Amino acid sequence: MRRTSGELIILCALPAAAILWIAAFFLFPGFLPPMSPGSAPSEVAAFYGDHTARIRYSMILFNWFCVALIPVLMLIVERMRGMAHRTPIMRYCMIGCAGAAPIAFLTATIFWLLAAFRPDRAPELTQLYNDLGWITFTCGVPFLVAQSLFLAVSIFLDQQEKPVFGRWVAYFNVLVAVALVPAGFAGLAHSGVLAWDGLLSFWVKNIAIALWIIVMSVVLGRALPRDRAVAEAAA
Amino acid sequence: MKRPAGRDDPKRELWLAWYAILVFYNLYTVVFFILTRTQPPGKPWYGAGDASGWFAHHHDGLLVGFALIFVLGGLSATSIALITYSIRRMSVSRAFAYSYLILYSVSAVPGFLFICVAMTAGAMRPDRDPALQQWLYDLGFLSFSGTMGVFLVGSLIWMAAILLDKNRVFPKWFGYLNLCNALTEVVVAPSWMFDRGVFAWNGLIAWWINVVVFGLYTGVFINLLRNVIIREDFGTGPLPGLPKRARGHAPAEVVS
Repeated sequence: MRRTSGELIILCALPAAAILWIAAFFLFPGFLPPMSPGSAPSEVAAFYGDHTARIRYSMILFNWFCVALIPVLMLIVERMRGMAHRTPIMRYCMIGCAGAAPIAFLTATIFWLLAAFRPDRAPELTQLYNDLGWITFTCGVPFLVAQSLFLAVSIFLDQQEKPVFGRWVAYFNVLVAVALVPAGFAGLAHSGVLAWDGLLSFWVKNIAIALWIIVMSVVLGRALPRDRAVAEAAA
Repeated sequence: MKRPAGRDDPKRELWLAWYAILVFYNLYTVVFFILTRTQPPGKPWYGAGDASGWFAHHHDGLLVGFALIFVLGGLSATSIALITYSIRRMSVSRAFAYSYLILYSVSAVPGFLFICVAMTAGAMRPDRDPALQQWLYDLGFLSFSGTMGVFLVGSLIWMAAILLDKNRVFPKWFGYLNLCNALTEVVVAPSWMFDRGVFAWNGLIAWWINVVVFGLYTGVFINLLRNVIIREDFGTGPLPGLPKRARGHAPAEVVS
């Protein structure tokens, strides 16, 4: 009898989640172009006053669905069972990061929603919420960096005839980890490439995360049927 | 001493994690004690003007130091993973291991991400309204000292596992040292109420005694984890291949 593991369902749900993420990204008026950390409190307050509805709807969408990445991360963890490791320790490292990374983003959405809840608040208070939202969103990369590095190490250690993921996936993950590093330093600049609206901290970081999700879902998609074939051959 | 993490060392994953723990705790010490000078912590009795001045005075160290944590803080997962693995080697239910894994993983956001965000926000705008700077100052120090429950229950879980364990993965006395660590989370609770005295967040009990206990505890468990790895006996041959890999199970793993 054919059993459904459900893994394919999780993977197929990812494009739906991705559409919602992209929609929320374009709906939030603070991303295109990204808000400047150099804005005066009155400008920040005016932004929340002018775009209250779009900020609320986009951040509610992100709040609902940013954690939808977790099941996909767990699919990766499940693939890691097939790696030629002697201990489950790399999987535990991944699980440890998998919860924290989306929760960091969820925390950022809460700060943005708080700022939009009372747009007529004192401008300095709105700026404070806005700062907390942007810093959490931009600098909150430690778990994403670690996750990519753990995955890369896991793939390097998976020395078998037919490794679960190709070696290039490890190099790709190292590259993504490197691309995320500058965002951690966004607090140091109010303008330029390092600032939270800058080339490195905003564009490179977010494109790296988007690329990671796309590449890993393709790689996962290719790893799933192989497992099914192995299971069917064994049956 | 066993040489770590050679290409064919069967314990390479364990040694990699162990060295990552060393890197993480050294980074942590350098960032908190030297770069940001947030340990020992600032004075809880500071008024708004003092807190604002504190941010201005610590400006560069806070931004650079916490940026390093923003980048490398995720390495803390290696310590959680190795300890979880050590519990899996014990004769107790997997529930203990998974509880520890989840408790310490969820601690990351309130336990260290909040102080990094709050202090970065404060340092980024030293000219912000002093009352708001004081709000960030409180958020930073209190979230860091006052994230208690996960460490309290996490230490008790580890303690119970060690005391019940028949495989002697850890010595029994270390089980009781976990109790000492759990107690530091109890005595830090009054720092939510007092802004001066021994129970304040920089006080003799809530900070000085706690930091000594935590430092000792951490040094001891890092060494004991090293002993656990040295004692592991995987044999010395290459990993067996995984030709008959069935879904969801890797036969090569000792503990899966």
